[in-house]
Amino acid sequence: MSSALLLQSLILGLLLGGLYALLAAGLTLYFGVMRVVMIAHSAFLILAAYLAWFFTTQTGLDPLLSLIITVPLFFAAGYGMQRALLSRLRPATLTMMSVLLTFAIALVIEGGLGYLFSGTQRRIQLGYSSASLELWGARIAVVKLVAFGLAAVSLLALYLLLKKTRFGQALRATIQHREAAQLLGIDTDRIAGFGFGLGLATAAVGGTALALDATIYPSLHWHWIGPLMAIIVIGGLGSIPGAAIAAMLLGVTQALLQIPMGTTWAQTVFYLALFATLMFRPQGFFGGRLAQRF
Amino acid sequence: MPFTKTPTASKRSRAALATSAALALASTLAACGAAAEGGGDDEIVIGISLPLTGDFSEPGKGIQRGYEAWAEYVNANGGLLGRDVRLEMLDDQSSAERVAADYEKLINQEQVDLVVGPFSTRLVIPAAQVAQDYGYLFVEPAGAAPEVFEEGFENLFYAAPAVANDHYKLLAEHILAMPESQRPKTAAYASMDDPFAQGTAYGLKDALEEGGVKTVVDEVYPPNTTDFSSIAAKIADSKADIVVGGSQYQDGVNLIVALQQLSYQPKLAAFSTAPTETEFAEAIGDKTQGIIAPTGYTTKADYPENQEFVKFYEEKHGEAPGEDEANAWTTGQVVAAAVEAVECAEPDPDCQAELIDWLRENEVDTVVGPLSWDAQGRPQSAHMIQQWVDGEIKIVLPEDQSEAEFVYPKPAW
Repeated sequence: MSSALLLQSLILGLLLGGLYALLAAGLTLYFGVMRVVMIAHSAFLILAAYLAWFFTTQTGLDPLLSLIITVPLFFAAGYGMQRALLSRLRPATLTMMSVLLTFAIALVIEGGLGYLFSGTQRRIQLGYSSASLELWGARIAVVKLVAFGLAAVSLLALYLLLKKTRFGQALRATIQHREAAQLLGIDTDRIAGFGFGLGLATAAVGGTALALDATIYPSLHWHWIGPLMAIIVIGGLGSIPGAAIAAMLLGVTQALLQIPMGTTWAQTVFYLALFATLMFRPQGFFGGRLAQRF
Repeated sequence: MPFTKTPTASKRSRAALATSAALALASTLAACGAAAEGGGDDEIVIGISLPLTGDFSEPGKGIQRGYEAWAEYVNANGGLLGRDVRLEMLDDQSSAERVAADYEKLINQEQVDLVVGPFSTRLVIPAAQVAQDYGYLFVEPAGAAPEVFEEGFENLFYAAPAVANDHYKLLAEHILAMPESQRPKTAAYASMDDPFAQGTAYGLKDALEEGGVKTVVDEVYPPNTTDFSSIAAKIADSKADIVVGGSQYQDGVNLIVALQQLSYQPKLAAFSTAPTETEFAEAIGDKTQGIIAPTGYTTKADYPENQEFVKFYEEKHGEAPGEDEANAWTTGQVVAAAVEAVECAEPDPDCQAELIDWLRENEVDTVVGPLSWDAQGRPQSAHMIQQWVDGEIKIVLPEDQSEAEFVYPKPAW
């Protein structure tokens, strides 16, 4: 193993980890806000990726511009989905039933994409898709750097929104203790809807970032949901910084393990880490009890 | 489109049970006048079971269109041995149990004069078994996986240019024939963990290793892999002279882009399947320069049989035939050649044995070029090699079919 390959793999791992962090952020947020396991999160990622592809093929503009449409659209869809569907589930069985409900939504999205765009595998053709920068002999692909940048900006914005704004305080109060938040005059139903919308808005950004450097097809979301679920459990359900750190660690570990072990075995790192977490630290590695996250 | 799943032991024994049940039933039926259903003196009935519904219905329908076009063409040109060809088609619903029962019915009850094969390895094996039990010739259009030829069939012939491992045969020969100074010294391989895709890459790997080209990377990835940057990093780091991908579609495209992102410039880049798909250029734009792919069928091949086939098919359907249609047509041609040569087409075991023996010994001109077979039914020809030249994919090997010069070393991508 040469040091050049090691450096290259490290860089690829960091870039991949950044993308994982963005894709997992929304997933951990839903759980934090409402104890909802959102199986359809990755289906929305693929939906956003398709919208970016469709936008680019129709207008010839850069797929990043599709965010102007998809982010508000997904925020509204998330709010609507929470208010109209998820809030109607009985609180006692919410977590379990949300799996079934969002599983159904994932199937609807997958079927809809197949119906509209066929099962043909698509890729956005970009002038800069194979461009790269050089850093100490290693190569950094421009598209991966853009995706990483999107992830960093979105996660930072999300963090600041939750930490520094009144809305963020209200959302965190809702997460920590719903009844107490209500007693303080917070409209927790609306806040929960906004929280869900926020999660879905990250899916719009994540899906677009994904579409820059991936070949997409309707059933692709099944490949993503497993690793993303593993990331949020390892990071501690509901913790965005936890998910981000877990994502970076797993991304780098996966890329480095691929050198000696090959692709098949390197993929198992997610599940091994998941098993280890559940065995030794079921609450996740970051943050304490669920109520005190962020 | 090959599919390479072998039925499990339990499935096989269930199939055997169904077979013997069908046998008992069929022999009773045969006794009461089913013989009358077979072809009379004025027609030759060919029995086929196809997956017209279920998992393989898409390629199954392609095969159906190919068979139907072939039968029409033959009848428009005086038939076989002066008799009209009639196709007796059943739908096996993509089920391995069902396909065996279908061929039992066709052979035993309807006493068809000839049978030809269904689509996919999984259905070809049980169907070939039934045909073998009755001594029937079995030419099939789709069953390229190694398992098909390891079952010990003596009646089976695969009507396509080559099995998976031989797809790159012409490329291997071409590379090894280069002068020592030009010949690549190192090669990197990346292939999907799938018997067909991997078979293509490993066929080339074996040939090149034997010829002294050193393997520096040999990566196998699971079919669900979507991120190829780490594999690409390994290949780029090895600085291999050539890169070979045993790919299907998205894996090939993603790997090519990942290699380009690392500024890796091989002298030759060969990928199976992906570069021949219509979406390929749409996906990676103008960075296709010099990429190589093997292909089992192209409408552009200028064998006279192929030109006639393409013309006839386009007139009938208004669009060019695909590989499935071509494979079915080829199957028809192979059977017809044997029938014309030995001048018989009867259920009678002697006639069937003569047909089988003739195909063992002879070569048949088809839409995919001249075909001959080894004792297990593996075709002894090779896939054509295509290369992307100036934004178009063109045949470069074999030389007598080429539309463009083979470009080596490939221009930068």
